[in-house]
Amino acid sequence: MSRNTLEKVLYDLSTSGANKKMFAAEPEKFLGRYQLSEAEKALVLDYRVRELADLGVNTMLTWGFWLQAGKSNRDYLKIMKREEA
Amino acid sequence: MARIVGGFVAPHNPVMYFNPQGASQEESDLCYGAYAAMAERIKELEADAAIVIGCDHYILFGTECLPPYVISTGEIEGPVDQLPGLKRKPLKSHAALGEHIARVGWETGFDWTVGRALNVDHSVAVPHHLMIEPTGKDIPIVAVMLACGVDPYLPMSRAWALGEHIAAAVESFPGNERIVVIGSGGISHHVGDERMGEVNPDFDRKVLDIVTRGDKAAMLALTDEEILRDGGNGAMEIRTYACAMAATKAAGGRTIAYAPVPGWVTGMGFAELEVAA
Repeated sequence: MSRNTLEKVLYDLSTSGANKKMFAAEPEKFLGRYQLSEAEKALVLDYRVRELADLGVNTMLTWGFWLQAGKSNRDYLKIMKREEA
Repeated sequence: MARIVGGFVAPHNPVMYFNPQGASQEESDLCYGAYAAMAERIKELEADAAIVIGCDHYILFGTECLPPYVISTGEIEGPVDQLPGLKRKPLKSHAALGEHIARVGWETGFDWTVGRALNVDHSVAVPHHLMIEPTGKDIPIVAVMLACGVDPYLPMSRAWALGEHIAAAVESFPGNERIVVIGSGGISHHVGDERMGEVNPDFDRKVLDIVTRGDKAAMLALTDEEILRDGGNGAMEIRTYACAMAATKAAGGRTIAYAPVPGWVTGMGFAELEVAA
């Protein structure tokens, strides 16, 4: 697992509207640009923010990644606290 | 000779903008009153330039390149992370002062990364909005960004040394500017982790006490482990306080206001720094 590339993906998504659109439209294709294993791609595709944070991904990025998808802050906190979202 | 005539530490909390109702009216009045008081002090100090020490929030610099410290030497624009009531725009820059500090740094052991057309985030734009603009004096700024939000973090001791270097560089600037320094950052707060919303008044008061006593040893004794445990990942921003304390030669100061505001997820502390002769 490489938190560096995972952070790069989340950073690219949080700072570029074009990237957000591409990820929303064709997530697999978008992630194909990055040096990620299949397991790492799944963490991003499934918004598994707790597991991303456990891998050392900066939580400023996991939080922004979650919110940019229109998901609720309440659910985010439940997941981060390992409660049912 | 240019000189630093005053200093401040203050939060740059974006939650104030996108969730103003998160704080009670009393908390909100206290915080906005503190910003207004600091703007008034900047006017009284007859400042004609400001050095705003902020920090990236993984908005400006990505994994490709993570600079430990950056200074503006040309135009400044921001915030790139726009907020309700705080839109992205050009911010008046004191390019010559930033360039001078950078040049002195390169000659004395501080290898500044420079932003010749620097974008800043809310850590610079909020104090600019709430402390500089209300002076009505169109004060130009130098923006400094420290690595406080993304690892590798700038060591606290290096933030301090950087502040001392800024003070020395200002004194050799060929102008008569009266300059204020602003350390921009929240005290206890957790950004994006499972403790988001927790505020620790004991830690906040400890930090404010260190700041207002000008206690270099106590500031440098704060380890990252302690800051992360007691103040949260957001509290790593107090490196900006260390830099501002050093730039004002750690003469102590006074707390202007403090409130733990869980609804704004931050210990909101405001202090003025005295400047040693």
